[in-house]
Amino acid sequence: MTTTARRRPRAQRGLAQRGPAQPRQRPARPRSVLRLPSVRVALVILAAVAILTAFGSALAPQNPLTINANALFQGPGAHHLLGTDYLGRDVLSRLMAGTRLSVLTALEAVGIGLVLGAVPGVATVFLGRWFDFVANRITDALMTLPYIFFAVAVTAALGNNLAHAMIAVGILLAPFFFRVTRAATLEHARAQYVEAAELLGASKLHIIRVHVLRKVLPNIAVTTASMTAAALLAVSFLTFLGIGVQPPAPTWGGILSSDLDYLSQAPWAPFIPGALIAITVGALNALADAFRDRSSAGSLVTADPVTRAVIHTNSSLESADGDRQSQSVA
Amino acid sequence: MAVIGLTRSGGTAAAAAPALHRRNRGRIALARLGGGLAVLVPIVFLSTFITYGLGALSNSDPAATILGQDAATPAAVARLNRALGLDHPLVVQYWNWLTQALHGNLGRSWFTQIPVSQSVSQRLPVDLSIAILAVVLAVIIGGTTGTVAAIRRGGWFDRGLTLACSAVSTLPAFVVGIILVVLFAVTVHLFPANGYVGPTTSIPQWLRYIILPALALAVQVSADIARQLRTSLVTVLDQNYIVGAKVRGLPYRRILVRHALRNAAGPALTILGNDFPQMLAGAVALEVVFSLPGLGQLLLESAQTRDIPVVQGLLLVTSTFVIVINLVINTTLNWLYRTDDGIGT
Amino acid sequence: MVIDNRSPLPDVVTAGAGAGVSQGPRPGAGEVLRIDDLHVTVHDGAATAVRGISLRVQAGEIVGLVGESGSGKTLTCRAALGVLPPGCAIEQGTVSFAGHDVTALSQRDWERVHGSHMGAVFQDPASYLNPTITVGHQLTEVLRVKRRLARRAARRRATELFGAVGLREPERVFHQIPAELSGGMLQRVMIAIAVSCDPQLLVADEPTTALDVTIQAEVIELLRQLRDQRGMAVLFVSHDLALITELCDRVVVFYAGEVVESGPAAEITERPRHPYTQALLRVASVGDFGRRELEVIAGQPPQVGANIAGCRFAERCPVAVPACRTGSIPSVAVGDEHDVRCLRAEDARNVDQLVAR
Repeated sequence: MTTTARRRPRAQRGLAQRGPAQPRQRPARPRSVLRLPSVRVALVILAAVAILTAFGSALAPQNPLTINANALFQGPGAHHLLGTDYLGRDVLSRLMAGTRLSVLTALEAVGIGLVLGAVPGVATVFLGRWFDFVANRITDALMTLPYIFFAVAVTAALGNNLAHAMIAVGILLAPFFFRVTRAATLEHARAQYVEAAELLGASKLHIIRVHVLRKVLPNIAVTTASMTAAALLAVSFLTFLGIGVQPPAPTWGGILSSDLDYLSQAPWAPFIPGALIAITVGALNALADAFRDRSSAGSLVTADPVTRAVIHTNSSLESADGDRQSQSVA
Repeated sequence: MAVIGLTRSGGTAAAAAPALHRRNRGRIALARLGGGLAVLVPIVFLSTFITYGLGALSNSDPAATILGQDAATPAAVARLNRALGLDHPLVVQYWNWLTQALHGNLGRSWFTQIPVSQSVSQRLPVDLSIAILAVVLAVIIGGTTGTVAAIRRGGWFDRGLTLACSAVSTLPAFVVGIILVVLFAVTVHLFPANGYVGPTTSIPQWLRYIILPALALAVQVSADIARQLRTSLVTVLDQNYIVGAKVRGLPYRRILVRHALRNAAGPALTILGNDFPQMLAGAVALEVVFSLPGLGQLLLESAQTRDIPVVQGLLLVTSTFVIVINLVINTTLNWLYRTDDGIGT
Repeated sequence: MVIDNRSPLPDVVTAGAGAGVSQGPRPGAGEVLRIDDLHVTVHDGAATAVRGISLRVQAGEIVGLVGESGSGKTLTCRAALGVLPPGCAIEQGTVSFAGHDVTALSQRDWERVHGSHMGAVFQDPASYLNPTITVGHQLTEVLRVKRRLARRAARRRATELFGAVGLREPERVFHQIPAELSGGMLQRVMIAIAVSCDPQLLVADEPTTALDVTIQAEVIELLRQLRDQRGMAVLFVSHDLALITELCDRVVVFYAGEVVESGPAAEITERPRHPYTQALLRVASVGDFGRRELEVIAGQPPQVGANIAGCRFAERCPVAVPACRTGSIPSVAVGDEHDVRCLRAEDARNVDQLVAR
């Protein structure tokens, strides 16, 4: 997605040569999505988060672990841009440092979900009805179970380890990947050119690789974005509950949790990590939504809004009465 | 869904063709119920077994922990293990546990010796109160806002609602809970920030303690319901049968409730069923935020001490709960929106 | 077939059953519907789809609106009923029902008019009925709410009505949902519901277009009976001129949003004055065996809402003269209640001779 942003959108180049008011029925390509303001903002936010993940505490203005007993509960100010916490530590630095752990474990969960979900999702279309039935039922069942209980149960069994808990989360994200990939694969595997390829003797694996995978990838990308958002929330939640937190190492949820203990002294405090979580999650969701909207069918475009409006009214009146008569007189 | 898009089925079902009898429909519903159970129950047992297995595979040694470092001689440990039933092979242990569980005996905590079922039944009412109140609130808030937005579509309320829903959807329940605590408990002292009083003690007090957590839980679900209801209702209101009802001279309110909402509510209610697991998850977090003595706290504590029987029991209880609720909701919806060919929404 | 033994129209109206439009004279033998110079805009005023429509329906009369799709007849009906689609509005003109101006009637007042005084049936009956509720319930609902009948009485009356409209097993139909019934049966159900509170006017928008020809005939017969027995006026819309001339007392011909000709059915059939009407009649007689060629009118009607100077049919008219394309064309009387909007009306008496085939 980011690489294609560099190239000038082909739609832009070509339009000048074409005349206006030509009905275009091609679905809009992802490149034009980048013009949406929401997508641009989302990408900027995510880029910032990515940088923080990569370089983490190196970029922080101060040491996230330094305790300063003289500067407890300070509000946002010149020295500490987002204030200090109950031990006098700089909140901004802690948040920046905590990004790495939160994001990486979230990605770990998404990765597991992707592999466990998308692969069977594509395969199920080609592996026969039994497999499909069983896979679907397992998916239904997994989707109804609350992930938090399993994540916590896993820590009960394996010890207080965030990575392990996120494996449980990843397993419970898999059904979503499965559903989406299965639907997308079904849609494309039944296309006529796939039938033609089969008739020409192509093996199933070849068909999958060459024809289907390319079409299915956008859907997977969209789901990955939403699932990453969900995984981030899960990480925040788990660290909030105290799972996998080795104090004094900062995590988003952990900061939120300790803010809660000192609410009366600093009622504004939880809003900061809360906002950070919300913004990141929102950016991911916005991205997912934008791509999802664009990859559905394209729209018929005519130049004249009046004509379009009248066509619309007329056709809604006619279709309202199920009128299929042509324009000729009876 | 199916209800909204229904049109005449091409004149196939003339009066002469025998319509599917109502008793048959009941049978089909029952079959689907059975099918749902048959699939979900193994998953529940599978998950509890995995937890058990993981516990065994891990290097936790409850006997040693119980006895304490000094008293944990090999002989004492072996004796305790036998007492706790930990010396049998894993599958046997699990089977014993399972059979006992079906009789209602979920074992005892390794550390406190309190029967798990007792701990659970003590704490269950807390979560239930919050969850039920949350559902009620969600339906009321989500239902009214969604309806108003649909009736005045395109207006300021509608647009505001869309914005609010998008904003809310990024906020996990515990964050909302924290916000509510800050707003209504810390700064304003309207409601208590933590603690719990049962309904048997005093109903007004009980409500005071659960209203904030219930509200926190309800916010996201309300947003989902409102958004879905608005969309469905807008579609339904555009349908011809609403015009048909209008030209019959039926009052607007009646059309709205008995024709439009009746058909549009289905998908929104399904959302309730789907969101329920998330509500459970949120309840756990909220117990931490509001210091409520519920199942979530129990889970966290026993997870920390690695008290497997308690965790197992909780897992079983919550999973069963979720399954039952889901089945109840799905069956109700299928019954409410039955069409003649027996295919539900 | 006896439908019921209720008293004819005036008594039902004065009895005030189910509430009606408040004051005003009760025109026992007067005008039920009057539309004057109606202009309807679509899509929030972007285009005017209906221009200067005027028509009248007398009590007990069946008036037919005929014209191509998009000619404005459906919009006119909707305007008369007060159920214009979103984005459409009455820009100019008045609609009067039984002497009362209903052009800008409030929603609450419309609730009183609908059902009790004006009923409606539409082309696709299945889509106008709630798909999840039995048809019997939908009829009893109307009876209970508008006529305040008790449940059991409403159910009995509903079954009677179903029988009266020709449904063979009314008890059984009562418990069925729309998906279980055929088109013809659903249309009868709709008619039953529409006339259940004895309205003075029934608006029928292409009720038979989607039905088999045999069912069509039955439904038409049913409408005629309802008129005969209840003195109910009917506004019947169709694009099938043959059907219209067979059923209706008076005919109103629509073209491109205007009324181009209106008059008694017999007049219109025997002495059509507008070139469009004449062409329609010629085309409609395609049903005769023996005709080999498909008759069409060359050209297309203008875009809905297009602003055209002069006659809107001039483009396709075989006898148009330059004067036809400038200024507005007034509607002139050419016979007893026979109006034509055409400059060539007098000359067009024998268009066949004027027109080169």
